[in-house]
Amino acid sequence: MEIPINHNAPQVMHIDLNSCFAIIEQQANPLLRHRPVAVAAYDSPGGMVIASSYEAKALGIKLGVNVREARLLSPDVHVLTPDPEKYFNAHKRFKEVLLKYTNEVTPKSVDEFVIDFRGSRVLQAGRSLEDIGMQIKQDIKNALGEYVTVNIGIGPNRFLAKLAAGLNKPDGMDRIDGNNLRDIYAGLELTDLPGINVRYEARLNIAGIYTPLQFLDAPVIMLRKRVFKSIVGFYWHLRLRGHEVDMIKFGRKSFGQQYALAKKTRDKQELSRLLMKLCEKTGRRLRGQDYIASGIHLWLGFENRMHWAKGKRVRGDIYATQDIYLHAQKLLNEVPIPARVTNIGVTVFNLRPANPQQLGLFDDSRLDAKSLARAADAVNDRYGEFTVVPASMANMQDVIIKRVAFGSTNDL
Amino acid sequence: MELSNTSVFLQKKGIRMREKINESVSVVMYYSATKRVAAPHTISWRNTEYRVGKIGYHHTIMEGKTLHHIYELVDTQGSLWFRLNLDTSNLHWNLEAVHDGNTH
Repeated sequence: MEIPINHNAPQVMHIDLNSCFAIIEQQANPLLRHRPVAVAAYDSPGGMVIASSYEAKALGIKLGVNVREARLLSPDVHVLTPDPEKYFNAHKRFKEVLLKYTNEVTPKSVDEFVIDFRGSRVLQAGRSLEDIGMQIKQDIKNALGEYVTVNIGIGPNRFLAKLAAGLNKPDGMDRIDGNNLRDIYAGLELTDLPGINVRYEARLNIAGIYTPLQFLDAPVIMLRKRVFKSIVGFYWHLRLRGHEVDMIKFGRKSFGQQYALAKKTRDKQELSRLLMKLCEKTGRRLRGQDYIASGIHLWLGFENRMHWAKGKRVRGDIYATQDIYLHAQKLLNEVPIPARVTNIGVTVFNLRPANPQQLGLFDDSRLDAKSLARAADAVNDRYGEFTVVPASMANMQDVIIKRVAFGSTNDL
Repeated sequence: MELSNTSVFLQKKGIRMREKINESVSVVMYYSATKRVAAPHTISWRNTEYRVGKIGYHHTIMEGKTLHHIYELVDTQGSLWFRLNLDTSNLHWNLEAVHDGNTH
């Protein structure tokens, strides 16, 4: 069954902070404004650029180039390492601004929010979303600084609002609704659509779909049966027409930490020490959100671009750092190491709430281990991270530094 | 590239570009009851006084239970950037980094 285009008035707004980390650095340091700035994981030549200012982007310094390449593209580029606390603070201020308008504010990442204005009082008062958008832009400048700009997209669903937010960067504000939908699609490529990557593009191409307009006009049965071969095809049919299908809130499935080694190594003892710190950080987050896990996954990346990964479900609970470390170390012992290790990551999964606890008849000692882990967390909360650590982590305070999770805002 | 007076001054002190300093500094702070704003006014570092111009960003961080205020600001001439850290447990100021705007 073909669904008509949604001609209702748009009530969803997508807001994203332009070049988030770079622009916050330019706000903090006025000497960097209007200059090429790159925020890189490390400022050593191999460090990856994770954000760049508009001036840097214009010179070709984009996400994923390394510092050496960035300096070749522009010797005058300012390379900075990330300041996660500052970005989290900016995220919170950003959110506080938006919460003044409605409670229906959903963070999509550290620099993106979706606001659902359906039923909100500001709309009922007769104001247009464009008018509210202009005021939000000003409020964000007041809260974060005069150099900070945002892109605003307005649409009848989240997909079109996000698409609208990307039309005119930086500092743009665009609206897509049932009336201009076809005109907007006519000027875009398939990969300009949020959620369509090159692999999806190839699938669409095989079915004879080369443009967003052809995608819009494709029969739903074709999308379901030939292109996506699942219900996903029907969701795309709805999404492209402005109907909401992306309001699902996903629950927490896992906790993980990963680390790109500053010094590549094949030394298992060194890897074991790094692993312990990753386990401690994973454990802090797991316990901080009151979960117990019963599955663990370890992966390693090597300099020859090979990967090794293995996960397993375990009997009993994974809660204390030592639990995570014990199982992760067992996995690490199984790893053949063909080349120096460049990346290491650990994830715990199969989560369930830590409270209420299911007590066994014979697990007094486990209860003690959980209490010890909670006590150590309380000390670290009071006196700072890594005040109390397992002995194998001694003197590792700066080995794995805090990083920013781009896509996830669960821990902010 | 021609260096500014500030850069020459900093180079004489052995400081180039953006550099981590991590030194205790003297700071005069003001508080405006009408604007309800508190901010650094003057920084005294290595025998030189700098009047605070624009404050780029101010945020707080927790180290354990201790609140720290981080101020990133430039002097009134707009030629030198400072990153200051106020430890609220003892009200001591630490100069964490400076930058003269140059990359080299």
